[in-house]
Amino acid sequence: MLRSSPLRCGTRALCRVPASSTPSHLSRDISRRASYSTSNGAEPKTQTWCRTCVGASVLLSGLALSIFLTRPSTSSHDKKSRSSSKYASPDEVKTAISALRSALKPDQVLTDPDVLLSYGSSDNTYHHSSPHAVVVLPRSTEDVIEVVNVARQYRVPIVPYSGATSLEGQFAGFKGESICIDMSGMDKILAIHKDDADLVCQAGARWEDINETLKDKGIPLFFPLDPGPGATIGGMVGTGCSGTNAVRYGTARGEWFLNLTVVLPNGKVIKTKRRACKSATGFDTTKLFIGAEGTLGIVTEATLRLAPVLPTRVALAQFPDAEKAVSAVQEILLSPYGSNMQCIEFLDENSMISFTSFETTYLTFYPSASCSLLNVSPDGYPLADPADALLQAAGHVGHDRLRGSAAGSVKTIAGAHSGSNFQFARTDEEAESLWEVRKYALVATLGWRQQGDRLWTTDVCVPVSKLPELVYETQKDMNEHGVTATIVGHVGDGNFHSFMLFHDDKELEKVSAAVHRLVHHAIDLDGTCTGEHGVGLGKKEYLVGELGEGTVELMRSIKQTIDPLNIMNPGKLYPDPSEVANKAVTRDKAV
Amino acid sequence: MSRASDDGKGPTAYGSPEDFKRAVQEMQATFPTEGVVSTHPDDLFAHGFSTNVYHEGIPHSVVVYPQSTEDVVKIVKIANNYRMPVVAYSGATSLEGHFIGTKGGGICVDMSGMDKILEIHESDSDLVCQPGVGWVEINHALKEQGIPLFFPIDPAPTATIGGMLSTGCSGSETINSMESFLLDTHHTPANAVRYGTAKGEWFLNATVVLPSGEVIKTRQRSRKSSAGFDVTKLFIGAEGTLGIVTEVTIRLAPVVPTTVATAQFPDVRSASEAVIEILNHGVGIQCVELCDAAFMEATNLHGPSGRKYAVTDHLFFKLQGPTQASLKETARIVQEVAKKHGGSSFKVAKNDEEAEDMWADRKNAHYSSLLWGGEGTKAWATDVCVPISKLPELVYETQKDIERSGIKGPIVGHAGDGNFHSLLLFKTDEELVKVRDLVHRMVERAIAREGTCMHGEHGVGIGKREFLYEELGEGTVKLMKKIKKTIDPLNLFNPGKLYPDAPKSKSSSGDGH
Repeated sequence: MLRSSPLRCGTRALCRVPASSTPSHLSRDISRRASYSTSNGAEPKTQTWCRTCVGASVLLSGLALSIFLTRPSTSSHDKKSRSSSKYASPDEVKTAISALRSALKPDQVLTDPDVLLSYGSSDNTYHHSSPHAVVVLPRSTEDVIEVVNVARQYRVPIVPYSGATSLEGQFAGFKGESICIDMSGMDKILAIHKDDADLVCQAGARWEDINETLKDKGIPLFFPLDPGPGATIGGMVGTGCSGTNAVRYGTARGEWFLNLTVVLPNGKVIKTKRRACKSATGFDTTKLFIGAEGTLGIVTEATLRLAPVLPTRVALAQFPDAEKAVSAVQEILLSPYGSNMQCIEFLDENSMISFTSFETTYLTFYPSASCSLLNVSPDGYPLADPADALLQAAGHVGHDRLRGSAAGSVKTIAGAHSGSNFQFARTDEEAESLWEVRKYALVATLGWRQQGDRLWTTDVCVPVSKLPELVYETQKDMNEHGVTATIVGHVGDGNFHSFMLFHDDKELEKVSAAVHRLVHHAIDLDGTCTGEHGVGLGKKEYLVGELGEGTVELMRSIKQTIDPLNIMNPGKLYPDPSEVANKAVTRDKAV
Repeated sequence: MSRASDDGKGPTAYGSPEDFKRAVQEMQATFPTEGVVSTHPDDLFAHGFSTNVYHEGIPHSVVVYPQSTEDVVKIVKIANNYRMPVVAYSGATSLEGHFIGTKGGGICVDMSGMDKILEIHESDSDLVCQPGVGWVEINHALKEQGIPLFFPIDPAPTATIGGMLSTGCSGSETINSMESFLLDTHHTPANAVRYGTAKGEWFLNATVVLPSGEVIKTRQRSRKSSAGFDVTKLFIGAEGTLGIVTEVTIRLAPVVPTTVATAQFPDVRSASEAVIEILNHGVGIQCVELCDAAFMEATNLHGPSGRKYAVTDHLFFKLQGPTQASLKETARIVQEVAKKHGGSSFKVAKNDEEAEDMWADRKNAHYSSLLWGGEGTKAWATDVCVPISKLPELVYETQKDIERSGIKGPIVGHAGDGNFHSLLLFKTDEELVKVRDLVHRMVERAIAREGTCMHGEHGVGIGKREFLYEELGEGTVKLMKKIKKTIDPLNLFNPGKLYPDAPKSKSSSGDGH
């Protein structure tokens, strides 16, 4: 019922990580933090912040931002919202908790301080965190309505939570005064419509469990959005997620969510659309909640579109540099085989080196699930050279020839771009073993340098053609600043993650600065500060730079319209105007 | 923002006729170039009426032809000053009365002059263009330049990017010839099976002039972003009620070899059942189209290829695959499944020419059907979408209903999406009454099956507003109205469209379903 213990999470990640692995499950093990600000849920002490590796934003944007983070209730952009964002006093919070207890069953309301703390913080991120005032475990949409009504009545912030895999502080507590609504108990599959290739489920269902269930039932369909393991449908909606499969299937922003059942801040429930797959009925309100990070309503149910399961194969090629690798990918994607590519992943030289070290201890390391054993010198792995790109080719059913010819064509194109060491998996086992390089990239990075290292994961996305430049500049930048990192990318989408290692506060500072430079560079290249991890607390400050003040203002006014009391996950996603002003300065410094 | 009334209309205190007159003068002064501002009655009339639809037309006060985003901003600012409604006209005419003028007058912004392709990024598979350019022109330009990419959203041939975005079409806008009063069925937005619709990820970003006159660009050009909810999506399907789109980045797909196949079936039910099974095989299907017996009869008489088909229900397939071998294998699988469902006379085009020929018969559905109706025939096109498992039953019942009514009404469907059209032919008022009844029954049948009524593709406009509550539920419609009110508090943009006035009698349909 409660969230998995760190160890279990770590193990789970190791066992089942798909390629897009949100790295953090592991960092949860590794970066067990010394202290949180637990006492009475008040503002965190400054020194705690430092010790707990505060997010880059805080380090760079200084006083104004930290005021914002600790006193969000006065930060809204106009008087109207300021007056309306007065939250419950501690006494009122207590009354609200009693109200929750009478609205729900006793075992659905948790106030154990350890629980409140663990729900409010994440080992996955180094952003500011704070415990909640109460955790509730709804079992139905009706329960959620009750919770929202109480929250509204007493003006208590409400923070949705389910898989707890997010990386940007999306479910962090709000000054110890928030209701955390844990949706993970609402994890049922309600209906499977095989003929319609769709499925109705509750928000707490995990995508992996959904796919397992379909497989167990012998239904040859699957849900192709594949973010980190443990992610749930509700969280995937909230983050606007994607994963390695995005090359072939797109992201959460496409047409995979046919409709959502949402409890709005006013306690009303809406179902955004009917189940029919094609509809031109006005603008699609479903899309409002995708990427809204729980700030506009709480998703309780969703209808997912499913795709037919297709046989896949894996191929691997090696390139002298990122530019060559990317140009090969571009040509492959433009060819008639382009739409047959399911995933195309890039691993840079460092990744391959780190994997080599990983490989040598692979067997001993893996079952013990401890990352501290990995400090082994690189040698031996045949691919451990320059940049490599992995290509996973998906063919149509029964199309062995197609898969074969896709591989042939990919090989030819790779060769034309100086690709070498082309490997094509002939069996499923071979495919799996090749794909492991990608799967364990994070683990390998963690164990690469020295015991006790921690890791900061970033996520940016640019138009594919700009990727070589960004990778090149990032590598150069990190070399210049002495940051050790690997780069792993969903190269078919122009999206990449950098796993930056740090050992102490001094290194953390370096890493944090490097993240800033990287994000700004990505935005300058017509890209985004976040390809798939979302905004949360960690990327708020970049939003205006990326989207423009007008767009952000429009988002704010929609937020204000739907949630006038600002009770839904306050402090996340929407940058504060004062922060914006501050950001300009930050940016000058950063660039 | 407090408790604003929820009628979605906002203050309707538009300017007086005097104000409007001054607004027109100001526009003439702002755009002195000949022809940019038109008050010629023919022009006003042509923009405010559509012979495509049976909704009352209302002329605009003035038609303006902007050349740039800045021009649009100027127009919107003037509209704000004089509280004058603004209706964007995106080149092609649309089916549901989206561009009909506003009572009391208004500004029609004709985007057809903003029709340029601004940038083609081949290596990123995207393209930046103005809203007035047609998707056919875009694909033509790409082909001419030897770029093996295309934009796969394929509504009517004259549909423009701006119009497609506004109606959220998988295919929606109508034909340009004003004398042709019917629409859609002939233009086969059939690619949705493979590529989805405008509501997917084909529009990477949009530059929009908001009702306040402010310009926003919704996103950067990167393919993915999880930076908050995607504001682009707000404008897709908003039918010009939230902003005027002035620039768009669209994503392109690689051109893949295709061929065409047909199969005949004992009835629409078995044909639709075959479609369901074929799709779940995951073979390379770009389009799968249902054509009923009535339509085949019309095609035998008036189809462009001159081919003769058995007068029975058919499926037309467009198969897609990177190689000839893979196309053959797909054809084999499709044939097997079709056979299992009673399909026969499976035929695959021998070459590209034949494929084009066969596909033309499907594409020409609209004209063949009209000709079949005989001289003076008019047609009412409907558009229904249900979860695909409900399609066999729904099409079957609809076909029987049409037969019973004595109306000629060929059915053509994008079966792969659970979407179909019937083209109800009529000549007299008496027949029109029957047609209306048929349409209503069809809508109700679709809604009862979790479907969307008639706006599978054509958007809401005026024609279908009344059904919106029933389909989306009161809560969702309220939310849409709230957003409309937030973005356009003066209700200047395309007033009276999309958002229904009040819940239909039985508000019991309620917030959920």
